[in-house]
Amino acid sequence: MTCSKVVCSSLLALSLSCGPAAPTTSTAPPPDNLEPAVRRLSTAELEASAQTLIGSDATLAAALPPDARQSDYSRNVAQTVDSLMLGDLFDAARSATETLDLSQAQFPSCAGTALHADRECAATTVTALARSAFRRTPSALEVEQLLGLLTLGAEGVDFKNGIALVVRGLLGSPKFLYATTLGEGAPGPTRLSDDELGSELSLLISGQPPDEALLLAASRGELASGSAREEQALRLLQLPQSRDLYRRFVQEWLGLIGLNGLAKSSQVITDFPTLREAMVNETNQFVDDVFSRQAGSVAALLAGNYSLVPDALAGFYGIQPTTLGTRVSLSSLGRVGILQQASFLATFAHESESAPVLRGKAVLTRLLCLDFPKPTDLGIDIVFPAADPDATTRERFARHATDAACRGCHATLDGVGFLFENFDAAGHLRAGESGRAIDTSGSVQLDGKQLALADSAALSNALANSEQVRQCAARQVVRFAAGKTDVAVEQAFVDSLKTKSAQRRGTFLGLFLEFVKSDWFAWRKPQ
Amino acid sequence: MIRRRPLPISRRAALTALGAGATLAALFPRVDSLRAASAPAKYFIGVYMPHGMAREFWVPKPGFQIAYEGSSLAPFDDAAAYGRSFRDQIVALEGLDLTAGLRASTVGHDASRVILTGSGTNGQNASIDQFLAVEQGLGRETPLSSLVLGVGSAEPALQWCISYAKGGTALPKIISPLASFRRAFGQFLVDPDPAAVARAAREQRLGKSLLDYWTADLAELRRRSPQAERDKLDQHATALRELEKRVVGQSVTCAVPAPPDAEQFPAVGSYQGGEPYFDVISNLQIDLMVQALACGITHVSTLFLADLSRTHFDAALPEDVHTDVAHRYASPGRSGTGSSDPASQAQLARQNHYTYSKIARILQRLAEAGLLEETVLVAMSDMGDPARHSSRQVPTLLAGGWGGALRGGRHIDLGAEGTPSNRLLVSVQQAFGIESDSYGQSVDPSILSGSLALA
Repeated sequence: MTCSKVVCSSLLALSLSCGPAAPTTSTAPPPDNLEPAVRRLSTAELEASAQTLIGSDATLAAALPPDARQSDYSRNVAQTVDSLMLGDLFDAARSATETLDLSQAQFPSCAGTALHADRECAATTVTALARSAFRRTPSALEVEQLLGLLTLGAEGVDFKNGIALVVRGLLGSPKFLYATTLGEGAPGPTRLSDDELGSELSLLISGQPPDEALLLAASRGELASGSAREEQALRLLQLPQSRDLYRRFVQEWLGLIGLNGLAKSSQVITDFPTLREAMVNETNQFVDDVFSRQAGSVAALLAGNYSLVPDALAGFYGIQPTTLGTRVSLSSLGRVGILQQASFLATFAHESESAPVLRGKAVLTRLLCLDFPKPTDLGIDIVFPAADPDATTRERFARHATDAACRGCHATLDGVGFLFENFDAAGHLRAGESGRAIDTSGSVQLDGKQLALADSAALSNALANSEQVRQCAARQVVRFAAGKTDVAVEQAFVDSLKTKSAQRRGTFLGLFLEFVKSDWFAWRKPQ
Repeated sequence: MIRRRPLPISRRAALTALGAGATLAALFPRVDSLRAASAPAKYFIGVYMPHGMAREFWVPKPGFQIAYEGSSLAPFDDAAAYGRSFRDQIVALEGLDLTAGLRASTVGHDASRVILTGSGTNGQNASIDQFLAVEQGLGRETPLSSLVLGVGSAEPALQWCISYAKGGTALPKIISPLASFRRAFGQFLVDPDPAAVARAAREQRLGKSLLDYWTADLAELRRRSPQAERDKLDQHATALRELEKRVVGQSVTCAVPAPPDAEQFPAVGSYQGGEPYFDVISNLQIDLMVQALACGITHVSTLFLADLSRTHFDAALPEDVHTDVAHRYASPGRSGTGSSDPASQAQLARQNHYTYSKIARILQRLAEAGLLEETVLVAMSDMGDPARHSSRQVPTLLAGGWGGALRGGRHIDLGAEGTPSNRLLVSVQQAFGIESDSYGQSVDPSILSGSLALA
């Protein structure tokens, strides 16, 4: 493989070598396995696939209903093709093909000038398109069916209209819309087919359909080898699309995707719509940087002691604007990592107030993978503390500590949430509230120890060095890959990492590489 | 258990693509229609109401007085605003719990899922609207099996959906009136220009071929798939059948309304600047919904209404209705425990009043279209007391004639101990002639059975 660009420097540290990997084909499935599944691609995957198929102008996502999320992720097995979605897709595909440009690289060179009766060019074009759309080489019968569509579409018109109908057929085909992990259909545990291995690998690592190199490796049966999959994944991780997918993964993992669906009181912040965009941009640039330069280091995300602050957010943070792409330390402002970025703080807050419970729960469920029952599950009525201009938020939530029914969970939730109390509902730094000084002290139980902490920066530093956080990160990778929560496979994967290097266990890129080369990626339970 | 009555009516619509349709029918058998001549309810409307209910201003006074000062139900007895009083076409149903959610940790905001499904998050059954439309054939003859609408958020998430397909997946909502118009009426816009007619004929021919192609591929995928994955592929097959109806073309017996004026709603999304337009959006969605029913476009619709946060429609309410009204509501409720704050109760009642004014508009439009007596309307929130996020004692509004299965003008109190809402869904089935004695799914099957005496 060719090692170039900044991203590869961080990937080099993850791989034993940059040369070809030795084939190590696994023949026995692991005892715990994921269920075989038929997963409808997310709208982002559909858009990327459509762009690969017919060119970069194809925009499907905006025309389709939003994705359902499961276990926080839009890449999931709960996605369906309902009536509204199919109707919208039908219309969007028709629109996209009205302006088809056959001179684009996606189409064979003959397509631009081919005549209606040019069967050879028709077959070449249809085969190439189907190979892209199906994420595998089409069978002769499949090509024949598509040629039938081409003939119908070209009838009385021209070759281009024939191709347009073929593209519409492909964009609505179940073979395009669904990624399967069904294997070869043999009895007992089954390994994914070679084509499925290539498709899954590419969609998981880059959010794209497989490129030519991966299709070739799949067709040769090379992807049965975990090390070959790892090598391909290392190659794909250098693509900008992989960076985009990693950005989306972090947004969904931490719930930051919810920022777009929030408002803030004008008493807290006056230009939230503009600043919201800047908040998202900051986190995206930061996450890109951690991905590209530090292999998606969990510790760097949490306590990298720097950020990349857009101009629009500089005033909000109270710093001077910096050159685009420049790292700036905000640790003197209590901001050491992603948890102190405005995107996280504003997402996990109410419209006009900070929200210790939401912030504490976000950290504990998303970073430590803990579960908490809902109060109503326990027969507890929620009573929100009344507004009190003379009390701090912490004081208003004092009942959580005194009420025995609440204390069980809230000692843990609020103990973490109070650490962020020096940030208001929008994520502004504040020294006081209601004329009183802010108390940011709190606690967390981490790696079996109860830690008393001064503020959220101390929390981030503790989380950055926590094995419990690294294990949760590994679980999140399995959830994202599986498109659902499977506790047994998550645990098995976590256990398998014990012998791996800190670099592998402590970076998301390392975790993704470990997963794709594992048998949990390649095998499924019997149907 | 469900017993089906025989199919009593012939197919009215001009479904001519029998090739594709026959293939689908063979692969995914359709159930017989339950629209019996003796089951006069023909239309179903489900409405989600945000932020629970201020019971203090909801319970009718003796003699079913609902127009008293501050009453949230007052819009139903306001002939000046809605053309007539609908007092005798509504039932204020008190005492329902969203019990299936309580048994499955689907409570608080998530309990919106329970309203029409009678199931918690792990439920695999469809919501009653989709059950009627898809599984029981109420939407088979119409161009659309159902019309799932919303105001503000299109998110197909627990907190934002009441319509669920078989298999348990939330259905996306249409939140733009322009998109609602295109969905319901777009296919019936006819350009008389000969070139346009020729293009449409060609498009129909191509569309049929595409449907054949996709249907065959879907059947092959279904054959290879494990049982657990088949519900979603069946949903896809249902979607193909619906698209088939559109491609083939069907006739309607009414004039297609004019499309909404998009300048009236420059933005439609919650938190995306849509709030100032929610009132006009709600009205347009309601009008389009009832026009779609009246034109025979569909017989089933749901509407997920938005709250008044950031709309500034009511100067007496704070900007953040969610936090500063719903969360601050203080009521001892039926249990008599907890503090009481009459001002907070009155504020929540104003929000409720607004929502009911939209439902009164639905009734007004249904009455104008002559559909009121044949319509089953159910309006419910995900909470009773919103400050407690309680899925117990959720005040429920039933409206329409239910085809004779609902006797209106009444306050029905099922008691303080709480009755599973599944019984309401059983009664809805019965209004459509479905002889079933249960609805929903739960680890506690005892909550699924029984019905309510509504006639």
